[in-house]
Amino acid sequence: MKDEKEMLEYLGIDSVDELFADVPEAVKHEIDLPNGISEMEVMQKVKNHLSGNKSLEDMVCFLGGGIYRQYVPAGVSEIIGRSEFYTSYTPYQAEISQGMLRALFEYQSLICELTGMEAANTSMYDHHTALGEAVRMAGRIGKRKRKRFLIPENIHWDRLPVLKNYLIGSDIEIELVPFDEEKGTIDVEALKDKVGEDTLGFYVESPNAFGVLEENIKLFKDLREDTGAVMIAGVNPLSLALLKPPSEWGADIVVGDSQPFGIPPSFGGPTVGIFACGKKHIRKMPGRMIGETVDADGKTAYCMTLQTREQHIRRERATSNICTNEALSALASTVYILLKGGKGLEETAKGCYNKAHRLANMIDELDGYSAPYFTGDFFNEFVVELPVDKDKLTAEAGAKNVLPGIYLDGYFTGFNRRMLTAVGDTTTEEDMKLLTEVLKEVSP
Amino acid sequence: MNQIYRQARYDVHDIFEEHCVERKIADNPLPDNIARKEAPQIPDMPEYEVIRHFTRLSQMNYGIDSGFYPLGSCTMKFNPKYSELLCRETKALDIHPYQPEDTVQGTLRIMYELQQMLAEISGMDAVTLQPAAGAHGEMTGLMIINEYHRKKGEERNEIILPDTAHGTNPASASMLGYKTIEIPSKEGCVDIKALEEAVGENTAAFMLTNPNTLGIFEKDALKIAEIIHDAGGLLYYDGANLNAIMGKTCPGKMNFDIMHFNLHKTLATPHGGGGPGSGPVAVTKDLRSYLPVPIVEKAEGKYYLEYDLENSIGRIKGFYGNWLVLLRAYAYILKEGSDGITAISERAVLNSNYLRKQLEDVLELPYGELRKHEFVLSGSSLKKKGLRTLDIAKRLLDYGYHAPTIYFPLIVDEALMIEPTETERKETLDGFVNALRAIMEEDVETVSSAPHNTAVKRVDDTQASREPILSYRMRLNKR
Repeated sequence: MKDEKEMLEYLGIDSVDELFADVPEAVKHEIDLPNGISEMEVMQKVKNHLSGNKSLEDMVCFLGGGIYRQYVPAGVSEIIGRSEFYTSYTPYQAEISQGMLRALFEYQSLICELTGMEAANTSMYDHHTALGEAVRMAGRIGKRKRKRFLIPENIHWDRLPVLKNYLIGSDIEIELVPFDEEKGTIDVEALKDKVGEDTLGFYVESPNAFGVLEENIKLFKDLREDTGAVMIAGVNPLSLALLKPPSEWGADIVVGDSQPFGIPPSFGGPTVGIFACGKKHIRKMPGRMIGETVDADGKTAYCMTLQTREQHIRRERATSNICTNEALSALASTVYILLKGGKGLEETAKGCYNKAHRLANMIDELDGYSAPYFTGDFFNEFVVELPVDKDKLTAEAGAKNVLPGIYLDGYFTGFNRRMLTAVGDTTTEEDMKLLTEVLKEVSP
Repeated sequence: MNQIYRQARYDVHDIFEEHCVERKIADNPLPDNIARKEAPQIPDMPEYEVIRHFTRLSQMNYGIDSGFYPLGSCTMKFNPKYSELLCRETKALDIHPYQPEDTVQGTLRIMYELQQMLAEISGMDAVTLQPAAGAHGEMTGLMIINEYHRKKGEERNEIILPDTAHGTNPASASMLGYKTIEIPSKEGCVDIKALEEAVGENTAAFMLTNPNTLGIFEKDALKIAEIIHDAGGLLYYDGANLNAIMGKTCPGKMNFDIMHFNLHKTLATPHGGGGPGSGPVAVTKDLRSYLPVPIVEKAEGKYYLEYDLENSIGRIKGFYGNWLVLLRAYAYILKEGSDGITAISERAVLNSNYLRKQLEDVLELPYGELRKHEFVLSGSSLKKKGLRTLDIAKRLLDYGYHAPTIYFPLIVDEALMIEPTETERKETLDGFVNALRAIMEEDVETVSSAPHNTAVKRVDDTQASREPILSYRMRLNKR
């Protein structure tokens, strides 16, 4: 730029190289990449690469497993595309950031309405890491000297490995609870046996990895009250339009992923980790929170609050190391929920539930198939038992551009020929017919 | 002349109070024992009201597109618009993490090439794109460090840090159960003698950002590496300050073993009001097998997700990383190329030094002169006027500038940490200097009661934390 010369003159140097005179010769490094190209060339090149993808618009998708294809109203991308939002930093300077602060306060409020909890933070990275943080928090709010934390085996397959990594350096020990092989829910007797006076806490996911809704919510509440164990609930927030809120299951902490609310599948990221808890534990929470207060004129205003829990103040004694979170995605979810409204959300949830049940019936009527494989009721996805190996189905379905589901054999032992099939509000009657046709064709 | 700024100031209606009605759920298809009876309190608003609500909120928010954002260590640079457009492509958005690999070859290719680009920029050998943020990258790096020592049968439980370290460094270390040992700085740099005394058989790693948070380049980088490696520890590079050195030096050449990037800083992806970001981790070839799975590999012209890494720490997050952030960073590197990236660091350092020299006689500059991408001033001289750095920060908002980072690093009293980045021209920097000079001349009352021109006046954060209201529900229950 033309101002460079003036700036160099002001600094009394001939070249910017002099500003790097303190970098020793031995550590100098030149980058060996191609030189820059024009914006037009970038667009052409990247779009050309992306053409190597097949989008879900070009296929009929029944994949779920934590990422659901729900229609995103146009207003969502319009709002998160406003650069006052997306080019802003974390709202440390409250007075100039009221817009984002207020929107995130609304996000927290909506998560609280859905979960029945009183407090929520502005997001964790995703459901998986939120669970990791939640179990760590259980260690802070649970009864002293308790170390055993119970995790059911019917939770999303990638959550346990993430959780284990989040517990490195903590003295919390994970113990697994089996699931009921008929219902797909937690094995209630096993859970009762394991929860005792030495249990730090237990986790319940509903809908769980099989899409099944846990039915024994009263038991969870009783177990928690009887033993003083910390209860953590994992949710799909869309289901909470219809499901009793986790506060009524006895949850101390609620985690989940807000992806079904306004966030496209995006190859799995970014999404939004939900994190909510009861009022009495807010000072032990990880992550950023927005509080309502007043300004110098007494007018309602918002700011980041309880920051003394956080790494930039508390450093090694912080409740978590999290700094950057998923704020803009939380904004997307906020806009989504409000565009739908309470009634719209309820209708969307009912639509998913009803469609999933209709599809399960259609599949169950086919020779050799069993759907749902588990007898427990389900929300928007369910397990199908197949009469053929997955390779055969993949080949046939692929030829018709159908993605019939996620094969579970890689994730659960003994789950050969079992598939997790999901619907979204985007799933049409024709899509479901096409899937059943494909399944029928490959049936021996 | 200084432009006085005016931010929009709406009396935004409370959407919960205006638009919620108590309602029973009719025909709930769920089994009765788990079915919700009362609908959650979610506002029902017409679409145009929702859009108007958020449009007004956006006008009460300040982004890098609104103006200068000299937030130290946060690298608030311009976020290119082509990246935003690319992220709206159906083939970027509408792809599922479990769809077959042969239907996401475009994405896997971009991720694979990004891994290579980041390795080249950093001088490291292998990269994971999974971490969702810088702190998440730190945690991932420390998990690798932990596993590396464990596999060697060594119990090392200490992480050493300089007192200028970002707060996430000690927080990440203690999350993994490490004891953190903070060593004091000497003339703004790592005190080599103190480091030598601190290392030992318990040293798992030393975490450093270079240039450090004072903006000073740690010239003794190789000596530091030698001390750590001789003690059997590993050297971790916090990539928050990478914008200062690209194409000039790199963590690999400085003998770091592990590092993270902040794509939302250095590689121009937007901060989004706090996220999403992305914090890829790069390692030397000896540590490649410890990376979390999967990483993206290529064989026979096909890209695939590799899960088979001998010493892998396993999983650190769901799926494969913040793909849409990765895509933006990839486009940015393509656009800038080797020449552009080097020019970025040059201009960032030039802007920083220009501004530093302009401001030296306005506020005190502790430690030596030459800085990299950022510098730290001390507002301690303001105290005799009855002002604090916070007041200056708030008054700057009235002039239409986002405030610098304040009260960090901790070793500078009343710190103002200023990072102009490369995407500012001289006139903007001059305007900022003029504003700061003008503020110094203003009456104390005007400054101490600032801001005056923002959507709200100074916010009472003490009340916010004394009686927290974190949701609509909490407010209702308080009444």
